This record gives sequence, structure tokens and C-alpha cells, in this order.
Amino acid sequence: MKKILSVIKREYIQAVRTKGFVIATILVPVLMVAVFGIPILVSLISVGDQKTIGVIDLSQGIYKAFEKRLEGHKLKDGKRRYILEKVRPSADIEELRESLRKEILDKKLSAYIFIPEDISQGGEAQYASLHTTDFEETENIKGALNSVVIEKRLRKEGLDPQKIGKYLQGVKLTAIKVTKKGEEKDTGGTFAYSYILVLTLYMSLIFYGTAIMRGALEEKTSRVVEVVLSSLKPFQLMAGKILGIGAVGFTQFSIWAVFGIFAFRYGKSKIPIGADFNIPSVPIYVFVYFIVFFLLGFFLYSTFFAAIGSMVNSEKEAQQFQTPVIMFLVVPVLLMMFVLRSPNSTLSVVLSMIPLFAPILMLMRVCVLFPPFIQVGGSIVLLILSIMFMIWLASKIYRVGILMYGKPPKLKEIAKWVKYG
Amino acid sequence: MNALEIENISKRFGDFYAVNKLSFKIPRGIIYGLLGPNGAGKTTTIRMVMNIIIPDEGSIKVLDQKMDEKMKEKVGYLPEDRGLYPKMKVGELLLFLAEIRGITGSKARKEIDLWLDRFDLSGWKKKKVEELSRGMQQKLQFIATVIHQPELFILDEPFAGLDPVNTKLIKDIMLEMKEQGRTIIFSTHRMEQVEMICDDICLINKAESVLEGNLSQIKKQYGKNTVVLDYDGDANFIKDFPEVDKIDDYGKFMEIKLKERSDPHALLPKLVGKIGINKFEIKEPTLNAIFIEKVGARDEKDTVSH
Repeated sequence: MKKILSVIKREYIQAVRTKGFVIATILVPVLMVAVFGIPILVSLISVGDQKTIGVIDLSQGIYKAFEKRLEGHKLKDGKRRYILEKVRPSADIEELRESLRKEILDKKLSAYIFIPEDISQGGEAQYASLHTTDFEETENIKGALNSVVIEKRLRKEGLDPQKIGKYLQGVKLTAIKVTKKGEEKDTGGTFAYSYILVLTLYMSLIFYGTAIMRGALEEKTSRVVEVVLSSLKPFQLMAGKILGIGAVGFTQFSIWAVFGIFAFRYGKSKIPIGADFNIPSVPIYVFVYFIVFFLLGFFLYSTFFAAIGSMVNSEKEAQQFQTPVIMFLVVPVLLMMFVLRSPNSTLSVVLSMIPLFAPILMLMRVCVLFPPFIQVGGSIVLLILSIMFMIWLASKIYRVGILMYGKPPKLKEIAKWVKYG
Repeated sequence: MNALEIENISKRFGDFYAVNKLSFKIPRGIIYGLLGPNGAGKTTTIRMVMNIIIPDEGSIKVLDQKMDEKMKEKVGYLPEDRGLYPKMKVGELLLFLAEIRGITGSKARKEIDLWLDRFDLSGWKKKKVEELSRGMQQKLQFIATVIHQPELFILDEPFAGLDPVNTKLIKDIMLEMKEQGRTIIFSTHRMEQVEMICDDICLINKAESVLEGNLSQIKKQYGKNTVVLDYDGDANFIKDFPEVDKIDDYGKFMEIKLKERSDPHALLPKLVGKIGINKFEIKEPTLNAIFIEKVGARDEKDTVSH
């Protein structure tokens, strides 16, 4: 055990010192802040500009109501967002449009709107601007025109638009998550944090798994392994390596978690206006299960990666061998959507019990809808059993592989190693 | 009280016997040479002793015990394939290697400083291994072998790739360790080194032991029927003498092996006057000659049997 500790210490110190670790530890939170923080910040800071829009109204009588509708859109400082300029229709419409086009190009107008004579009978209105990717603006204009035209039609039929509006009012539906503590509104928060947690798990399993693989490969290519194995059992070396890199992962998560909690608290206090940006409260047990499934998944997959690292002789070969292992991680990520939609279907239950998928899918189920405890406990027991089996298998492969140079082994040869190792 | 006892060990890789029924005993406190041509099975034997490869059959006792974790701490092993962690700092690397062999803390640090000083590497303690030159890395590799003060050294080709200065340094340390009562086993195919420092030898060829025992006794067995001749002139005629068995001619220097029971003294009068003689020496055969005879003979036998 003392020797394993020495190996753990060595692996840990060497890994934590690498540039890769330092950069990833700093960069990930910075990126997170950038991805979530910047859009919020931009929407908070930018006031927006007033826009002058020319209107050619051939329909007669729509313009006034239309302008009134658009008055409702205000900028953050309370000014009107759109200033309309009525353009008197002349005989030659094309000439008129040409002149408006010039005004847009000269930046005198930001856009012009053409309302045809038969707008109420289904005629097509047009919106012309330098760019048409401001979907909010086109939606605003379409909405305003729409309601004005519908109102006009209703009046023509002698109906009261206000009454009709009331009749047509849509129903509201709020999703409420039922928990033991009671009920809480869910505006997609559960979905968001489940997704983030599962993806974090997925990426770190690959990241730390391949780190173990590369470590074993490096010991092999630098030929230091024989020196080490003259004092250690191959199992001690493998176990120390896995535990050491696992500790590195744990450290990194802790740093991120501390940073995350801090940024979260600070961010929440600074963004009171982000009304529809509802930060979900993640239950503590979700974090606990995240750690549990990370550790179990890590131990399971790291045995695969350690065995691969010991078998191959180059990064290129390693990549070939690691592909099937990574596929086992990709499959549950692809199945995530399905499990999210029906977390308690038979298929979801079965899939989430399979040890290779369990870390990702069972965590997903824990996030979405806490499964019967027998299923969670069962998957954990299955994982532990398969980890024990894999450690046994991998240490046999490791023992022979780490001293084998030359061609990478065929499956038949690996079976032989396990038999005689 | 043996440093190493090997009994009947065999190791097969597929159909190929790397080691076949090999046995030998090495008493404590000597320098033992494990000789043999490339591919004879020296490294496989050493790896089995180090418990890195498990023999198919036979038993191995190291320092009168079965090889286990505790035992490994008493052995210093220099593998044929040299290698160190390239990204580790020299001092940290040595500390790690000392730790996994049971020496920790200040004792390990003291030992590290001592050896780095002796090998002129003190200034490199904080540098990464990959920054060291090849020669320095080899010295470091040797320190890594001795850092835990082992009782038994197993050195696989310890002199390979060393310059004369470092060769002498390591040879001196080997002799020093022997004086302290430690045992050194080393493998090589360089006969002149063996002749100079080995007490006992085992010659392995094609997975089997072909010659084993005390070096001076082995040489005596071969008898004093070799003549070393330092000469001038044309000595070609010597090979036609009936008592001559084999000649190794270097142009100005000749090693003549006589047939059994022929008198080397009778050779000298036959040469006087025909060539200029600078030196005429009657001696035991060199280990090199024995090696070539043993290994070569087996090769010939093999070709016949095939």
C-alpha cells in the first residue's frame, strides 16, 4: 500500500504540474462564464438604437393604427424603438421604392415597409432593410401589421375586436415538477443542469481515461517501466496510476465547484433584472450522485484505458484501440434525449442498468426523476462488480502488455495473456 | 548462503524456448558474469529472476528466499532497455525510485545527494531528465540502480554505450560493492570485461547453459596450450604444422591453439630464424577463444543436425 501511495503521489504531482492541467482548470470556468455571462451582460448593457422606418401605405387607413401598435415597443431608456415616416405614395411606385432604397443605403432610413392595397385580402407586405437577420424586428412588425389587419376585418364584419380578442385568448400551461418537498415551477432548469452535468461527466471520463492511457504508453515507450516493475507489482503500478489520475480529476472538479458556487452567488446578486433567466436550484443529492457516478465510471473506464495503454506502442495505435471504448461513452450520450423524455420506460431502465452506460444514463435519470432506489442501488452494485472484474482482467493484460514491444496484439493473443498472465 | 539459486527454469514464448532447463548457483560476495551471444536468453533469465516474467517451470531463490516484494527492495536492477521518466526532475525521480524500494525521507535524500555528487550530477538535481545528455542519463540510470543500497545487483549490459571514463567509474563501484560483501551479477557479450572482473561465469547459448563455474578453473580446464606470438615477417607456414589446431592471425600478432597433448615449448625452436619474434607467450586460452569455440561448435553441430 505504501508503494501504491508513492505511485499515486508521483502521478498526481506530475499531472497537476502540466500546462494542460493548469490551462484546462482555468479555461473551463472562463469559457463557462463567457458562454452564459456574455449574452446576459450584453442584453443588460446595450440600450439599442432608435430606428427610422419609412412606410408606403397603399391600403389607406392602416398606417395610423400600425404606428400606434409599434409605439408599444420601447427601448430600455423609455424612448420609442421605432420612428415611422409616412411616405406619400406617388404615381410611380417603383421610382418611389428606388428613392427609399437610396435613403437606406445612405443610412437615412434603417428600413422601409411596403403595405399593398389588398393587404386585408391576403396581399403581401414587404419589409426591406440592409440586413434581414434581426428576427425580433421582423416579428415585431409582422405582429403589429397582423393585429391591425385582423381588427380592420373584424370591424368590417361588425364585430368587436376586443370581444373577439377575449374569445380567442389562448390557455396557459406551466410545467410543475412534483417532488417530495412539494411543487416547483420548472422553466427548463432541470433539463439544463442535467445536460451540463452529464456532458461534464462524459467529457471528464474521456479526458482522464485517455490521460491514464497516455501515461501507461509513455512508461512503455520511455522504457522506464522495467525499472519500476523491478520494485512494484504491475497491479500496484496500474492501481497507483488510476488512483493518482482520479485524484487529479477530483481536484479539478473541486476547483471548478468552488469557482462555480462563487460565480453563481456573485452572478445572482448582480443580475436581478434577468427575469426570464431562472437559475434552477440543483438539489444536493444530485451532486452526491454526480460524484458517485463519476468515480464509478472513472474506475470502470480507466481499467479499459490502462489496458489499452499497456498493449500498444504508439499514440496512433492507441487511437485505434480507444475508439470502441469511446463508443461505449458516446452511445449513452446519444440515448440521453430518449431517457429525458421517458425516464421510467422499460428501455430506459434496462439501458441505465448496463454498467458501461450506467454512469451517464443513471445520473440522467437521477436528475430528471429519481428512480426507484432498488434501480439506483442495483446499478451501483453492478458497476462495482464489473469494476472488480475489469481490474482483474486489465491487470492481467497490463502485466504482459507493458513489457511487449512490436506489433499490437490480436484479440486471440490478449485472451492468451489473460489465461496465462 | 547463496545470492541466487536457479533450478531448472524454462520459459517458452509460443514454440520458441527462450530459456531451457537452466540451473546455476551464485555464492554471495562475488561478481558473476552471465555471458552469451545476442538472443541467448540472458535477459529473459534476468527478468525471471526479477519476477517480471514468470517461468513456465523451475524455481528461483534470491538471497535464499523466494522473490517477493520485500526481496525486491534488496535487489538493484539495471535493465537492458534503459529508461527514466523524461519529464521528472532528477531529484524527484531518484526519490520516487528510492521510495518504491522502501527508503524514504531524509535517509533517501542523503543517499541521493551522495550519489549525485559522486557522479558529478549535483548541479542537475532540479533539472528535468530529458534535459540531460545521453551520457548523463546513463549515469543517472546507474544511480537509480544503487540508490537503495541493495545486497544483490543485477546489471544487464552495464557497460553498453559508456565512454571509457564512465566505464571505469562503474567498474570501480562494482568492485567496491564486492568488497562490501555484496553480490553482482551482470550480463554481457564483451569478454575482455568479464576476464578482468568476474569470479564465476555462466555461458548461455540458445537457451541452455553450455559452460558454468569458476573462471580460473574453467581456463585451467582448457589447459596451457595456447601460444601468443608477437612477430615480424611471413608466418603463414605455421598453419601447416601438425600440432596446430587453430590460428587467429592479426598480421603482427597471432593466437595459436595447439592440439591436445602437444608441447608448446617445442614450437619455439621451429620458428627461430624464420620470423622475427618479439614475444612468445604460453598461456591459457582467452575467454573470447573459449566463447567462440563453445558457441561456434554448437552452431556447427546444429547446422549438421538440421
